[in-house]
Amino acid sequence: MGIRLRQEPQLENPTLIASWPGIGNIGIIAVDTLRGILEAEEFGEIEPWEFFYPKRVLIRKGVLEYLEFPSSKFYFKRLGGKEIIFFIGEEQPTEGGRMYAEGEKAYRMADLVLDVAEKFKCHRVYTSGAAVALIHHTAKPRVWAVPNSRGLVAEIRRYGNTVLMSDIEGRGGHGNITGLNGLLLGVAKKRGFEAICLMGEIPVYLQGLPLSYPKASKSVLEVLSRSLGVEVDLDTLDELDQKVQQRIEEFYQQIPLEIRGQLDRLKHVAYTQPAEPGPITEEEEKKIVEDVEKFFKKRGEGG
Amino acid sequence: MNQNYPITIYQEPDLPRSSLVLGWSEDAGDLGRKVTDYLNLKLNGQEFAEVDPEDFFPMGGVAIKDNIARFPESKFYACPEHELAILRTDSPLAEWYKFLNSVLDVAERHCRVRELYVLGAMISFSAHTAPRQLIAVVNSTEMKEVLTQDDLNRDMDYQTQPGERPTLNSFLLWLARERNIPGVSVWVLIPFYLAAMEDPQAQRKVLSFLSERLGLRIDFSDLDQEIGEQNEQLAVARSRFPQIDDYINRLESNLVLSREENGELVKKIEEFLGEGD
Repeated sequence: MGIRLRQEPQLENPTLIASWPGIGNIGIIAVDTLRGILEAEEFGEIEPWEFFYPKRVLIRKGVLEYLEFPSSKFYFKRLGGKEIIFFIGEEQPTEGGRMYAEGEKAYRMADLVLDVAEKFKCHRVYTSGAAVALIHHTAKPRVWAVPNSRGLVAEIRRYGNTVLMSDIEGRGGHGNITGLNGLLLGVAKKRGFEAICLMGEIPVYLQGLPLSYPKASKSVLEVLSRSLGVEVDLDTLDELDQKVQQRIEEFYQQIPLEIRGQLDRLKHVAYTQPAEPGPITEEEEKKIVEDVEKFFKKRGEGG
Repeated sequence: MNQNYPITIYQEPDLPRSSLVLGWSEDAGDLGRKVTDYLNLKLNGQEFAEVDPEDFFPMGGVAIKDNIARFPESKFYACPEHELAILRTDSPLAEWYKFLNSVLDVAERHCRVRELYVLGAMISFSAHTAPRQLIAVVNSTEMKEVLTQDDLNRDMDYQTQPGERPTLNSFLLWLARERNIPGVSVWVLIPFYLAAMEDPQAQRKVLSFLSERLGLRIDFSDLDQEIGEQNEQLAVARSRFPQIDDYINRLESNLVLSREENGELVKKIEEFLGEGD
């Protein structure tokens, strides 16, 4: 098991941007959109067999023609003086019905991705995922940025529409990033790469829905492209977002009026610093989350 | 246990060349277990190896089935005089690639397997009175050419539908092809209302295929008797319960039952046949 490289592009000092699916597919949509816009070229992959169960079989006239596995592919792009390596994992190597990868397989996958980063002398690694937040779906999502070294904090503060964990009320600078989008950040630290995870905010009441959330992907991509110094046209994400927002609105109208009233108050949440009192108290926040969770639990039980 | 080779060999089998028949223990109609047990009984199969379970099954407790605690098993049997190896196994729940490669390691290193037969059951919406159909999926065109049985469907087209995943049979056939082991997945169609029970007619169909293909010359009179008894029981059920008869009549006329009617037929047949246990 390992890495298969179809070609070995001559790169000097590339940036690696990696992502796997997660809540709202925020990170992977952002990264894959950028890969598509820049027309990055595929150059290798991680062999899938030990990580994944096959996803598709084709049988023709009684003969098994092929078995397809979830892909874990590398792409590269030279852009003026900049070089970018993309890694897109189609699935996280999960076990036992879990949603996110963890344990030995996840660690091995992260290590293999970084083997490629090391081989091509990457200086910086970005990963991307979702941040579940107490926001309304009509609001522009912020991007939560988690670096793996203190030296990156000052840079992150210059990004715009971006917050550190210490900026988020009640977090005290702490938190967790579940799955490979987070684990890669840690393994990168262990192996001496500087790395940043960019997480687009998704409203707390949408986190369990089988919907992508391109609005947050757009926020991530704005930050990422600014950080990379790359100009990209994000119209495709706007189109996708319009379609998804329509479905979200339909769902939103099904939420009981009482809970919806609470959620409507999130429209007026101003992003606050920990020291400033917000328009919703901590107690009210707790109640909103509880009500939403109760609603989803009830909905789930009802099939 | 060897960390990289999770197999325990109890006794080296005398199999200078062989075919391997693999049956999954929890198939529809209990097909895999019944067919492999039947072969072992008739051909005097001797256990010689097993796959160690801890990498492939959760070890958080035991499952209980029909009042009895179960523990996952993957056991190999040898029938040297018939050049046959048999594996009866639970379906692994993790590390599928490692599990299936371990099976193929035993097949290659200890049984010198030349052909692989993987059994499977598919649910059919036909009546039990219709002949059981057999479908073959092969991993090479050469294998397809040697399967000449008249009543075998060798031309199925299929691709995975959204929300579904390939079967372990396909995964194993694909890995066998990587090792140049010709293989066939033998699927038998089982009426949906017998899927949670046993279907001796489906077992007979698969066993007849294997017997003919591998020259096993098995006497199936006991299994034929079992088929006759089940058919009689089902005939009694039809005569006693007009609703059951109506549903089966409609299936025999190639009509489709509603989801509720399907469920009701399953329930009534299971209740009736269960009473005879």
